[in-house]
Amino acid sequence: MKLSKEEIAHLAKLARLDLPEDKLERMTKDFGAILEYVDRIQQIDVEGVEPFTMPSRDQGWRPDEAVESDEVTRELILSNFPERANDLLAAPGVFETPKK
Amino acid sequence: MKLLNELTIKEARELLDKGEITSRKLTEACLDQIKSLDGALHAFIEVFENDALEAADKSDIRRAEGNTLGKLDGIPLAIKDNMLLQGKPCSAGSKILRGYVAAYDSTAVRKLIEAGAVILGRTNMDEFAMGSSTEHSAYGPTKHPRDIERVPGGSSGGSAVAVAANMCLGALGSDTGGSIRQPASLCGVVGLKPTYGRVSRYGLMAMASSLDQIGPFAKSSEDAAMILETIQGQDPSDQTTSDAEAFKPAWDSLKGKKIGLPKQAWKAGGIEERVSEKTEEALAKLKAAGAELVEIDLPYADEALAVYYILMPCEVSANLSRFDGMRYGLRKIGLPLFDTYAQSRAEGFGDEVMRRILLGTFALSSGYIDAYYVRAKKVQTLIRQAYEKAFKEVDLIATPTTPTTAFKLGEKLNDPVAMYLEDVFTVSINVAGVPAVSMPCEDDGGMPVGLQLIGQWFKEDELLGAAKLLES
Repeated sequence: MKLSKEEIAHLAKLARLDLPEDKLERMTKDFGAILEYVDRIQQIDVEGVEPFTMPSRDQGWRPDEAVESDEVTRELILSNFPERANDLLAAPGVFETPKK
Repeated sequence: MKLLNELTIKEARELLDKGEITSRKLTEACLDQIKSLDGALHAFIEVFENDALEAADKSDIRRAEGNTLGKLDGIPLAIKDNMLLQGKPCSAGSKILRGYVAAYDSTAVRKLIEAGAVILGRTNMDEFAMGSSTEHSAYGPTKHPRDIERVPGGSSGGSAVAVAANMCLGALGSDTGGSIRQPASLCGVVGLKPTYGRVSRYGLMAMASSLDQIGPFAKSSEDAAMILETIQGQDPSDQTTSDAEAFKPAWDSLKGKKIGLPKQAWKAGGIEERVSEKTEEALAKLKAAGAELVEIDLPYADEALAVYYILMPCEVSANLSRFDGMRYGLRKIGLPLFDTYAQSRAEGFGDEVMRRILLGTFALSSGYIDAYYVRAKKVQTLIRQAYEKAFKEVDLIATPTTPTTAFKLGEKLNDPVAMYLEDVFTVSINVAGVPAVSMPCEDDGGMPVGLQLIGQWFKEDELLGAAKLLES
Protein backbone atom coordinates (compact mmCIF):
# COMPACT_ATOMS: atom_id res chain seq x y z
CA MET A 1 0.00 0.00 0.00
CA LYS A 2 1.38 3.39 -0.99
CA LEU A 3 -0.13 6.82 -0.44
CA SER A 4 0.38 9.84 -2.65
CA LYS A 5 1.46 13.24 -1.36
CA GLU A 6 -2.09 14.49 -1.99
CA GLU A 7 -3.50 11.71 0.20
CA ILE A 8 -1.05 12.58 2.98
CA ALA A 9 -2.10 16.24 2.64
CA HIS A 10 -5.71 15.16 3.07
CA LEU A 11 -4.84 13.18 6.22
CA ALA A 12 -2.94 16.21 7.56
CA LYS A 13 -6.05 18.31 7.04
CA LEU A 14 -8.21 15.76 8.87
CA ALA A 15 -5.68 15.70 11.72
CA ARG A 16 -5.47 19.51 11.82
CA LEU A 17 -1.76 19.66 11.02
CA ASP A 18 -0.56 22.52 8.85
CA LEU A 19 2.38 20.83 7.12
CA PRO A 20 4.68 22.64 4.69
CA GLU A 21 5.52 21.04 1.34
CA ASP A 22 8.90 19.60 2.45
CA LYS A 23 7.36 17.87 5.46
CA LEU A 24 4.56 16.42 3.34
CA GLU A 25 7.17 14.95 1.02
CA ARG A 26 9.12 13.51 3.92
CA MET A 27 5.98 12.00 5.48
CA THR A 28 4.94 10.49 2.14
CA LYS A 29 8.32 8.75 1.88
CA ASP A 30 8.21 7.51 5.51
CA PHE A 31 4.65 6.27 5.05
CA GLY A 32 5.76 4.07 2.16
CA ALA A 33 8.32 2.25 4.34
CA ILE A 34 6.06 2.00 7.40
CA LEU A 35 3.02 0.71 5.51
CA GLU A 36 5.20 -1.81 3.72
CA TYR A 37 6.24 -3.11 7.14
CA VAL A 38 2.81 -3.16 8.81
CA ASP A 39 1.12 -4.66 5.75
CA ARG A 40 2.47 -8.07 6.85
CA ILE A 41 -0.66 -8.39 9.01
CA GLN A 42 -2.68 -8.72 5.81
CA GLN A 43 -1.18 -12.22 5.38
CA ILE A 44 -2.47 -13.55 8.73
CA ASP A 45 -5.58 -15.71 8.67
CA VAL A 46 -8.08 -13.98 10.95
CA GLU A 47 -11.13 -15.89 9.74
CA GLY A 48 -13.55 -16.27 12.67
CA VAL A 49 -11.31 -14.33 15.10
CA GLU A 50 -12.97 -11.63 17.21
CA PRO A 51 -11.24 -8.26 17.64
CA PHE A 52 -9.75 -8.00 21.14
CA THR A 53 -11.67 -5.85 23.60
CA MET A 54 -10.62 -5.05 27.13
CA PRO A 55 -12.63 -7.04 29.68
CA SER A 56 -14.99 -4.51 31.18
CA ARG A 57 -15.76 -4.20 34.85
CA ASP A 58 -19.18 -2.86 33.93
CA GLN A 59 -18.43 0.59 35.15
CA GLY A 60 -18.73 2.18 31.76
CA TRP A 61 -20.88 5.01 33.02
CA ARG A 62 -20.62 7.21 36.04
CA PRO A 63 -23.02 9.92 37.21
CA ASP A 64 -22.36 13.21 35.46
CA GLU A 65 -21.89 15.25 38.58
CA ALA A 66 -20.24 18.62 38.85
CA VAL A 67 -17.47 18.36 41.43
CA GLU A 68 -16.18 21.43 43.23
CA SER A 69 -12.48 21.98 42.81
CA ASP A 70 -10.36 23.71 45.40
CA GLU A 71 -8.98 27.19 44.82
CA VAL A 72 -5.44 26.00 44.03
CA THR A 73 -6.63 23.56 41.35
CA ARG A 74 -9.00 26.14 39.90
CA GLU A 75 -6.29 28.78 39.65
CA LEU A 76 -3.92 26.31 37.97
CA ILE A 77 -6.53 25.38 35.37
CA LEU A 78 -7.24 29.05 34.65
CA SER A 79 -3.55 29.94 34.48
CA ASN A 80 -3.03 27.32 31.78
CA PHE A 81 -5.53 29.02 29.43
CA PRO A 82 -3.66 30.34 26.38
CA GLU A 83 -5.91 33.44 26.37
CA ARG A 84 -8.34 34.39 29.05
CA ALA A 85 -11.00 36.98 29.73
CA ASN A 86 -11.14 37.22 33.50
CA ASP A 87 -12.11 33.70 34.57
CA LEU A 88 -13.31 32.67 31.13
CA LEU A 89 -11.39 30.86 28.43
CA ALA A 90 -11.05 33.07 25.35
CA ALA A 91 -11.22 31.18 22.07
CA PRO A 92 -11.39 32.16 18.40
CA GLY A 93 -14.96 32.56 17.11
CA VAL A 94 -16.27 29.59 15.19
CA PHE A 95 -17.69 31.69 12.33
CA GLU A 96 -15.28 34.61 12.47
CA THR A 97 -12.21 35.48 10.47
CA PRO A 98 -10.15 37.68 12.75
CA LYS A 99 -8.54 40.82 11.40
CA LYS A 100 -4.78 40.50 11.22
CA MET B 1 32.11 1.80 50.72
CA LYS B 2 29.40 3.08 48.43
CA LEU B 3 28.55 6.76 48.16
CA LEU B 4 25.09 7.59 49.45
CA ASN B 5 23.67 8.18 45.97
CA GLU B 6 24.97 4.78 44.88
CA LEU B 7 22.93 2.90 47.47
CA THR B 8 19.97 0.75 46.54
CA ILE B 9 16.64 1.74 48.05
CA LYS B 10 16.77 -1.26 50.36
CA GLU B 11 20.28 -0.37 51.61
CA ALA B 12 19.34 3.28 52.08
CA ARG B 13 16.19 2.33 53.94
CA GLU B 14 18.19 0.16 56.38
CA LEU B 15 20.69 2.95 57.07
CA LEU B 16 17.87 5.47 57.51
CA ASP B 17 16.10 3.18 59.95
CA LYS B 18 19.31 2.71 61.95
CA GLY B 19 19.78 6.46 62.05
CA GLU B 20 23.16 6.24 60.31
CA ILE B 21 22.13 8.57 57.50
CA THR B 22 19.43 11.16 56.95
CA SER B 23 17.15 11.69 54.01
CA ARG B 24 18.67 15.15 53.68
CA LYS B 25 22.19 13.72 53.22
CA LEU B 26 20.86 11.15 50.77
CA THR B 27 18.98 13.79 48.80
CA GLU B 28 21.96 16.14 48.79
CA ALA B 29 24.18 13.35 47.47
CA CYS B 30 21.75 12.81 44.57
CA LEU B 31 21.47 16.55 43.87
CA ASP B 32 25.29 16.84 43.85
CA GLN B 33 25.52 13.98 41.39
CA ILE B 34 22.94 15.66 39.17
CA LYS B 35 24.91 18.91 39.31
CA SER B 36 28.15 17.27 38.33
CA LEU B 37 26.85 14.97 35.57
CA ASP B 38 23.63 16.32 34.14
CA GLY B 39 25.27 19.03 32.07
CA ALA B 40 26.74 16.22 29.98
CA LEU B 41 23.94 13.63 30.21
CA HIS B 42 20.75 15.72 30.30
CA ALA B 43 18.67 13.13 32.15
CA PHE B 44 16.52 15.81 33.79
CA ILE B 45 14.32 18.47 32.24
CA GLU B 46 13.85 20.08 35.64
CA VAL B 47 15.26 19.44 39.11
CA PHE B 48 13.02 20.34 42.07
CA GLU B 49 15.97 21.14 44.36
CA ASN B 50 14.21 23.19 47.04
CA ASP B 51 11.09 21.03 47.20
CA ALA B 52 13.24 17.89 47.36
CA LEU B 53 15.30 19.21 50.28
CA GLU B 54 12.16 20.33 52.06
CA ALA B 55 10.56 16.90 51.57
CA ALA B 56 13.75 15.26 52.83
CA ASP B 57 13.76 17.39 55.99
CA LYS B 58 10.12 16.52 56.64
CA SER B 59 10.94 12.84 56.24
CA ASP B 60 13.79 13.15 58.74
CA ILE B 61 11.45 14.80 61.24
CA ARG B 62 8.87 12.04 60.77
CA ARG B 63 11.52 9.39 61.29
CA ALA B 64 12.84 11.11 64.42
CA GLU B 65 9.30 11.20 65.78
CA GLY B 66 8.66 7.57 64.95
CA ASN B 67 6.03 8.45 62.35
CA THR B 68 7.71 7.03 59.28
CA LEU B 69 5.30 6.62 56.38
CA GLY B 70 5.65 3.91 53.72
CA LYS B 71 8.64 1.91 52.53
CA LEU B 72 9.92 4.78 50.46
CA ASP B 73 9.97 7.42 53.19
CA GLY B 74 12.96 9.68 52.60
CA ILE B 75 14.04 7.93 49.38
CA PRO B 76 14.97 10.31 46.50
CA LEU B 77 13.29 9.28 43.25
CA ALA B 78 12.79 10.81 39.80
CA ILE B 79 9.64 10.84 37.66
CA LYS B 80 9.22 10.90 33.90
CA ASP B 81 8.02 14.20 32.46
CA ASN B 82 4.63 12.78 31.45
CA MET B 83 3.30 12.28 35.00
CA LEU B 84 1.48 15.17 36.60
CA LEU B 85 2.55 16.65 39.93
CA GLN B 86 0.29 19.51 40.97
CA GLY B 87 1.87 22.95 40.64
CA LYS B 88 4.88 21.67 38.67
CA PRO B 89 5.45 22.13 34.95
CA CYS B 90 4.92 18.97 32.90
CA SER B 91 5.72 18.88 29.19
CA ALA B 92 5.92 15.23 28.02
CA GLY B 93 9.09 16.36 26.25
CA SER B 94 7.00 18.49 23.89
CA LYS B 95 7.13 22.10 22.84
CA ILE B 96 3.33 22.20 22.68
CA LEU B 97 3.27 21.98 26.51
CA ARG B 98 6.07 24.45 27.20
CA GLY B 99 4.93 26.44 30.24
CA TYR B 100 2.07 24.05 31.11
CA VAL B 101 1.68 23.58 34.88
CA ALA B 102 -0.05 20.45 36.19
CA ALA B 103 -3.38 21.21 37.87
CA TYR B 104 -3.59 17.89 39.70
CA ASP B 105 -1.48 14.88 40.76
CA SER B 106 -1.14 11.63 38.88
CA THR B 107 -2.14 8.72 41.13
CA ALA B 108 1.24 6.96 40.86
CA VAL B 109 3.21 10.06 41.87
CA ARG B 110 0.73 10.89 44.62
CA LYS B 111 1.22 7.38 46.03
CA LEU B 112 4.99 7.89 46.05
CA ILE B 113 4.58 11.16 47.93
CA GLU B 114 2.11 9.65 50.38
CA ALA B 115 4.69 6.93 51.05
CA GLY B 116 7.17 9.68 51.94
CA ALA B 117 9.33 9.59 48.81
CA VAL B 118 11.36 12.65 47.84
CA ILE B 119 10.70 13.70 44.23
CA LEU B 120 13.94 15.05 42.75
CA GLY B 121 12.66 16.21 39.40
CA ARG B 122 11.19 15.31 36.04
CA THR B 123 13.22 13.34 33.54
CA ASN B 124 13.71 13.74 29.83
CA MET B 125 11.80 11.60 27.34
CA ASP B 126 10.93 11.22 23.69
CA GLU B 127 8.08 13.61 22.94
CA PHE B 128 4.82 12.12 24.27
CA ALA B 129 6.78 8.88 24.83
CA MET B 130 7.17 8.29 21.10
CA GLY B 131 10.62 7.00 20.37
CA SER B 132 13.30 4.52 21.34
CA SER B 133 16.28 6.81 21.88
CA THR B 134 15.16 9.97 23.75
CA GLU B 135 16.37 11.93 20.71
CA HIS B 136 12.79 12.98 19.96
CA SER B 137 12.62 15.29 23.00
CA ALA B 138 11.92 18.94 22.18
CA TYR B 139 14.40 19.78 24.95
CA GLY B 140 17.41 17.99 23.45
CA PRO B 141 18.60 14.38 23.69
CA THR B 142 19.71 12.46 26.79
CA LYS B 143 23.13 10.82 26.49
CA HIS B 144 24.26 7.35 27.50
CA PRO B 145 26.12 7.42 30.83
CA ARG B 146 28.92 5.18 29.55
CA ASP B 147 29.43 6.88 26.19
CA ILE B 148 27.92 10.28 25.49
CA GLU B 149 28.01 9.64 21.76
CA ARG B 150 25.40 6.94 22.26
CA VAL B 151 21.68 7.02 23.06
CA PRO B 152 20.27 5.69 26.36
CA GLY B 153 17.22 4.20 24.62
CA GLY B 154 13.74 5.52 25.09
CA SER B 155 11.26 6.78 25.51
CA SER B 156 12.00 6.87 29.27
CA GLY B 157 15.70 7.54 28.60
CA GLY B 158 15.99 10.26 31.25
CA SER B 159 14.71 7.99 34.02
CA ALA B 160 17.00 5.14 32.92
CA VAL B 161 20.07 7.41 32.92
CA ALA B 162 19.13 9.04 36.23
CA VAL B 163 19.16 5.59 37.87
CA ALA B 164 22.19 4.24 35.96
CA ALA B 165 24.27 7.34 36.76
CA ASN B 166 23.25 7.27 40.45
CA MET B 167 21.45 10.62 40.29
CA CYS B 168 18.55 9.04 42.18
CA LEU B 169 17.80 5.73 43.87
CA GLY B 170 14.94 4.80 41.58
CA ALA B 171 12.59 6.35 39.04
CA LEU B 172 9.25 5.98 37.36
CA GLY B 173 8.88 5.50 33.63
CA SER B 174 6.02 4.58 31.34
CA ASP B 175 6.00 1.70 28.89
CA THR B 176 3.70 1.47 25.86
CA GLY B 177 5.83 -0.77 23.64
CA GLY B 178 9.13 -1.06 25.52
CA SER B 179 9.75 2.45 26.83
CA ILE B 180 10.86 1.21 30.27
CA ARG B 181 12.52 -2.09 29.34
CA GLN B 182 14.50 -0.97 26.29
CA PRO B 183 16.27 2.00 27.99
CA ALA B 184 16.76 -0.14 31.13
CA SER B 185 18.48 -2.72 28.94
CA LEU B 186 20.64 -0.17 27.13
CA CYS B 187 21.67 1.53 30.40
CA GLY B 188 22.16 -1.59 32.53
CA VAL B 189 19.45 -1.13 35.16
CA VAL B 190 16.30 -3.01 36.17
CA GLY B 191 13.15 -1.88 34.33
CA LEU B 192 9.71 -3.36 35.03
CA LYS B 193 6.53 -3.04 32.99
CA PRO B 194 3.74 -4.28 35.25
CA THR B 195 0.65 -6.11 34.02
CA TYR B 196 -1.78 -3.78 32.23
CA GLY B 197 -4.18 -2.63 34.93
CA ARG B 198 -1.74 -3.04 37.85
CA VAL B 199 -0.86 0.66 38.15
CA SER B 200 -3.24 3.58 37.66
CA ARG B 201 -2.72 5.69 34.55
CA TYR B 202 -4.63 8.64 36.00
CA GLY B 203 -2.52 11.75 35.43
CA LEU B 204 -0.17 9.98 33.04
CA MET B 205 -0.37 11.77 29.70
CA ALA B 206 -1.98 9.21 27.45
CA MET B 207 -0.11 7.92 24.44
CA ALA B 208 -1.93 4.65 23.64
CA SER B 209 -4.33 4.14 26.53
CA SER B 210 -4.87 0.40 26.02
CA LEU B 211 -1.12 -0.27 26.13
CA ASP B 212 0.39 2.38 28.46
CA GLN B 213 1.58 1.30 31.89
CA ILE B 214 3.69 3.04 34.55
CA GLY B 215 6.53 1.09 36.13
CA PRO B 216 9.79 1.40 38.05
CA PHE B 217 13.45 1.75 37.09
CA ALA B 218 15.69 0.50 39.87
CA LYS B 219 19.14 -0.78 40.76
CA SER B 220 17.81 -4.16 41.93
CA SER B 221 14.76 -6.39 41.60
CA GLU B 222 13.97 -5.83 45.28
CA ASP B 223 13.95 -2.07 44.78
CA ALA B 224 11.66 -2.45 41.76
CA ALA B 225 9.35 -4.54 43.95
CA MET B 226 9.30 -1.84 46.66
CA ILE B 227 8.28 0.81 44.15
CA LEU B 228 5.65 -1.43 42.53
CA GLU B 229 4.16 -2.27 45.94
CA THR B 230 3.78 1.45 46.57
CA ILE B 231 2.29 2.59 43.27
CA GLN B 232 0.01 -0.38 42.46
CA GLY B 233 -3.70 -0.71 43.02
CA GLN B 234 -7.21 -0.13 41.82
CA ASP B 235 -8.09 3.51 41.28
CA PRO B 236 -11.61 4.91 40.85
CA SER B 237 -10.09 7.46 38.47
CA ASP B 238 -8.81 4.75 36.09
CA GLN B 239 -11.42 2.18 35.12
CA THR B 240 -8.80 -0.08 33.58
CA THR B 241 -7.08 -0.67 36.91
CA SER B 242 -7.70 -4.23 38.04
CA ASP B 243 -9.09 -5.64 41.26
CA ALA B 244 -6.57 -8.49 41.02
CA GLU B 245 -4.88 -9.50 44.24
CA ALA B 246 -2.22 -6.97 45.25
CA PHE B 247 1.38 -7.66 44.31
CA LYS B 248 3.55 -8.92 47.17
CA PRO B 249 7.15 -9.93 46.62
CA ALA B 250 7.67 -13.69 46.96
CA TRP B 251 11.33 -14.55 46.16
CA ASP B 252 10.57 -18.23 45.65
CA SER B 253 13.12 -20.62 44.26
CA LEU B 254 13.18 -21.51 40.58
CA LYS B 255 13.43 -25.24 41.25
CA GLY B 256 11.04 -27.13 39.00
CA LYS B 257 10.02 -23.99 37.14
CA LYS B 258 10.03 -23.94 33.37
CA ILE B 259 11.29 -20.98 31.39
CA GLY B 260 10.28 -20.88 27.74
CA LEU B 261 12.67 -19.58 25.10
CA PRO B 262 10.66 -18.59 22.01
CA LYS B 263 12.53 -19.74 18.93
CA GLN B 264 11.07 -16.74 17.09
CA ALA B 265 13.18 -14.47 19.34
CA TRP B 266 16.34 -16.47 19.96
CA LYS B 267 16.71 -17.55 16.36
CA ALA B 268 15.73 -14.19 14.90
CA GLY B 269 18.21 -12.54 12.58
CA GLY B 270 19.82 -9.24 13.47
CA ILE B 271 20.75 -9.96 17.10
CA GLU B 272 24.14 -8.43 17.92
CA GLU B 273 26.74 -11.01 18.96
CA ARG B 274 27.38 -9.34 22.32
CA VAL B 275 23.64 -9.50 23.07
CA SER B 276 23.49 -13.25 22.28
CA GLU B 277 26.57 -13.98 24.40
CA LYS B 278 25.51 -11.99 27.46
CA THR B 279 21.89 -13.14 27.46
CA GLU B 280 22.95 -16.79 27.10
CA GLU B 281 25.22 -16.35 30.13
CA ALA B 282 22.21 -15.03 32.03
CA LEU B 283 20.13 -18.01 30.94
CA ALA B 284 22.85 -20.30 32.28
CA LYS B 285 22.44 -18.62 35.68
CA LEU B 286 18.71 -19.31 35.66
CA LYS B 287 19.45 -22.92 34.76
CA ALA B 288 21.97 -23.17 37.58
CA ALA B 289 19.30 -21.81 39.93
CA GLY B 290 17.13 -24.81 39.10
CA ALA B 291 14.99 -23.66 36.18
CA GLU B 292 14.33 -25.90 33.24
CA LEU B 293 14.86 -24.07 29.94
CA VAL B 294 12.69 -25.21 27.06
CA GLU B 295 12.41 -23.97 23.51
CA ILE B 296 8.87 -22.87 22.73
CA ASP B 297 6.88 -21.70 19.76
CA LEU B 298 5.47 -18.21 20.25
CA PRO B 299 3.90 -17.26 16.94
CA TYR B 300 3.21 -13.74 15.65
CA ALA B 301 6.50 -12.39 17.08
CA ASP B 302 7.19 -10.36 13.93
CA GLU B 303 3.59 -9.48 13.32
CA ALA B 304 3.27 -8.06 16.87
CA LEU B 305 5.41 -5.08 15.86
CA ALA B 306 3.17 -4.49 12.85
CA VAL B 307 0.06 -4.76 15.04
CA TYR B 308 1.63 -2.33 17.49
CA TYR B 309 2.46 0.20 14.78
CA ILE B 310 -1.21 0.18 13.77
CA LEU B 311 -2.99 0.13 17.13
CA MET B 312 -0.68 2.58 18.88
CA PRO B 313 -0.89 5.36 16.22
CA CYS B 314 -4.68 4.97 16.12
CA GLU B 315 -4.88 5.68 19.85
CA VAL B 316 -2.25 8.42 19.51
CA SER B 317 -4.27 10.21 16.86
CA ALA B 318 -7.31 10.22 19.16
CA ASN B 319 -5.46 10.98 22.42
CA LEU B 320 -3.42 13.85 21.02
CA SER B 321 -6.40 15.60 19.47
CA ARG B 322 -6.77 17.32 22.87
CA PHE B 323 -3.66 19.38 22.06
CA ASP B 324 -5.47 21.85 19.85
CA GLY B 325 -4.35 25.17 21.31
CA MET B 326 -7.65 25.75 23.07
CA ARG B 327 -7.54 25.02 26.81
CA TYR B 328 -3.80 24.76 27.43
CA GLY B 329 -0.50 24.60 25.65
CA LEU B 330 0.73 26.48 22.62
CA ARG B 331 -1.79 28.60 20.70
CA LYS B 332 -1.07 30.60 17.55
CA ILE B 333 -2.96 33.85 18.05
CA GLY B 334 -5.09 35.91 15.65
CA LEU B 335 -6.03 33.19 13.17
CA PRO B 336 -9.35 31.72 12.04
CA LEU B 337 -10.36 28.63 14.03
CA PHE B 338 -9.13 25.96 11.61
CA ASP B 339 -5.74 27.66 11.25
CA THR B 340 -5.49 28.12 15.01
CA TYR B 341 -5.77 24.34 15.38
CA ALA B 342 -3.61 23.38 12.42
CA GLN B 343 -0.81 25.90 12.95
CA SER B 344 -0.64 25.47 16.74
CA ARG B 345 -0.35 21.70 16.35
CA ALA B 346 2.16 21.80 13.47
CA GLU B 347 4.37 24.19 15.42
CA GLY B 348 4.02 22.44 18.78
CA PHE B 349 4.50 18.81 17.73
CA GLY B 350 7.73 17.23 16.53
CA ASP B 351 7.94 15.16 13.32
CA GLU B 352 7.71 11.73 14.96
CA VAL B 353 4.53 12.71 16.80
CA MET B 354 2.99 14.08 13.62
CA ARG B 355 4.04 10.96 11.70
CA ARG B 356 2.16 8.79 14.20
CA ILE B 357 -0.90 11.06 14.26
CA LEU B 358 -1.07 10.80 10.46
CA LEU B 359 -0.61 7.01 10.53
CA GLY B 360 -3.42 6.66 13.06
CA THR B 361 -5.65 9.01 11.11
CA PHE B 362 -5.03 6.83 8.06
CA ALA B 363 -5.60 3.47 9.82
CA LEU B 364 -8.89 4.71 11.27
CA SER B 365 -10.16 6.41 8.15
CA SER B 366 -13.19 5.28 6.21
CA GLY B 367 -12.22 2.60 3.69
CA TYR B 368 -9.09 1.52 5.60
CA ILE B 369 -10.29 0.92 9.16
CA ASP B 370 -11.23 -2.73 8.51
CA ALA B 371 -7.98 -3.60 6.79
CA TYR B 372 -5.84 -1.92 9.46
CA TYR B 373 -7.38 -1.13 12.84
CA VAL B 374 -9.98 -3.93 13.01
CA ARG B 375 -7.63 -6.48 11.52
CA ALA B 376 -4.88 -5.50 13.96
CA LYS B 377 -7.35 -5.92 16.87
CA LYS B 378 -8.07 -9.44 15.58
CA VAL B 379 -4.37 -10.27 15.41
CA GLN B 380 -4.10 -8.88 18.96
CA THR B 381 -6.56 -11.62 20.01
CA LEU B 382 -4.29 -14.21 18.35
CA ILE B 383 -1.21 -12.79 20.09
CA ARG B 384 -2.91 -12.99 23.49
CA GLN B 385 -4.00 -16.56 22.74
CA ALA B 386 -0.41 -17.43 21.80
CA TYR B 387 0.75 -16.21 25.23
CA GLU B 388 -2.08 -18.07 27.00
CA LYS B 389 -1.06 -21.25 25.22
CA ALA B 390 2.63 -20.74 25.98
CA PHE B 391 1.90 -20.19 29.67
CA LYS B 392 0.15 -23.54 29.83
CA GLU B 393 3.54 -25.12 29.17
CA VAL B 394 5.95 -22.77 30.94
CA ASP B 395 5.99 -20.47 33.99
CA LEU B 396 8.04 -17.67 32.47
CA ILE B 397 9.35 -16.67 29.07
CA ALA B 398 12.79 -15.18 28.38
CA THR B 399 14.11 -13.20 25.42
CA PRO B 400 16.83 -10.61 24.88
CA THR B 401 15.26 -7.22 25.72
CA THR B 402 16.66 -5.59 22.59
CA PRO B 403 18.46 -6.91 19.52
CA THR B 404 21.38 -4.49 19.93
CA THR B 405 23.29 -2.54 22.56
CA ALA B 406 23.13 1.28 22.73
CA PHE B 407 23.51 2.80 19.27
CA LYS B 408 25.06 6.11 18.20
CA LEU B 409 23.09 9.36 18.38
CA GLY B 410 21.58 10.09 14.99
CA GLU B 411 22.15 6.54 13.72
CA LYS B 412 18.45 5.64 13.41
CA LEU B 413 16.93 9.10 13.50
CA ASN B 414 16.16 9.28 9.79
CA ASP B 415 14.93 5.73 9.43
CA PRO B 416 11.68 5.29 11.38
CA VAL B 417 11.38 1.57 10.63
CA ALA B 418 14.92 0.88 11.93
CA MET B 419 14.02 2.79 15.10
CA TYR B 420 10.75 0.85 15.44
CA LEU B 421 12.63 -2.47 15.13
CA GLU B 422 14.42 -1.62 18.40
CA ASP B 423 11.20 -2.70 20.10
CA VAL B 424 10.76 -5.99 18.24
CA PHE B 425 11.12 -8.09 21.43
CA THR B 426 9.21 -5.77 23.76
CA VAL B 427 6.00 -4.71 21.99
CA SER B 428 4.16 -8.04 22.00
CA ILE B 429 4.18 -7.90 25.83
CA ASN B 430 2.11 -4.69 25.77
CA VAL B 431 -0.15 -6.08 23.05
CA ALA B 432 -0.81 -9.10 25.32
CA GLY B 433 -0.92 -7.04 28.53
CA VAL B 434 1.45 -9.31 30.47
CA PRO B 435 4.21 -8.08 32.83
CA ALA B 436 7.90 -8.15 31.88
CA VAL B 437 11.18 -7.01 33.38
CA SER B 438 14.50 -6.20 31.77
CA MET B 439 17.39 -7.42 33.95
CA PRO B 440 20.97 -6.27 33.39
CA CYS B 441 23.27 -9.10 32.33
CA GLU B 442 26.67 -9.40 33.98
CA ASP B 443 28.54 -6.09 33.87
CA ASP B 444 31.96 -6.24 32.25
CA GLY B 445 32.24 -2.48 31.84
CA GLY B 446 31.14 -2.55 28.20
CA MET B 447 27.79 -1.55 26.74
CA PRO B 448 25.07 -3.10 28.90
CA VAL B 449 22.80 -5.92 27.73
CA GLY B 450 19.40 -6.82 29.15
CA LEU B 451 17.56 -10.12 29.48
CA GLN B 452 13.81 -9.78 29.33
CA LEU B 453 11.73 -12.05 31.56
CA ILE B 454 8.02 -12.21 30.77
CA GLY B 455 5.49 -13.37 33.35
CA GLN B 456 1.84 -14.35 33.42
CA TRP B 457 -0.88 -11.76 33.94
CA PHE B 458 -0.59 -10.32 37.49
CA LYS B 459 2.23 -12.68 38.49
CA GLU B 460 4.88 -10.01 39.03
CA ASP B 461 5.87 -11.91 42.20
CA GLU B 462 7.08 -14.90 40.14
CA LEU B 463 8.66 -12.60 37.60
CA LEU B 464 10.72 -10.59 40.09
CA GLY B 465 11.51 -13.76 42.05
CA ALA B 466 13.25 -15.16 38.99
CA ALA B 467 14.81 -11.79 38.21
CA LYS B 468 16.46 -11.66 41.64
CA LEU B 469 18.32 -14.90 40.95
CA LEU B 470 20.12 -13.16 38.10
CA GLU B 471 21.64 -10.71 40.57
CA SER B 472 23.50 -13.24 42.71
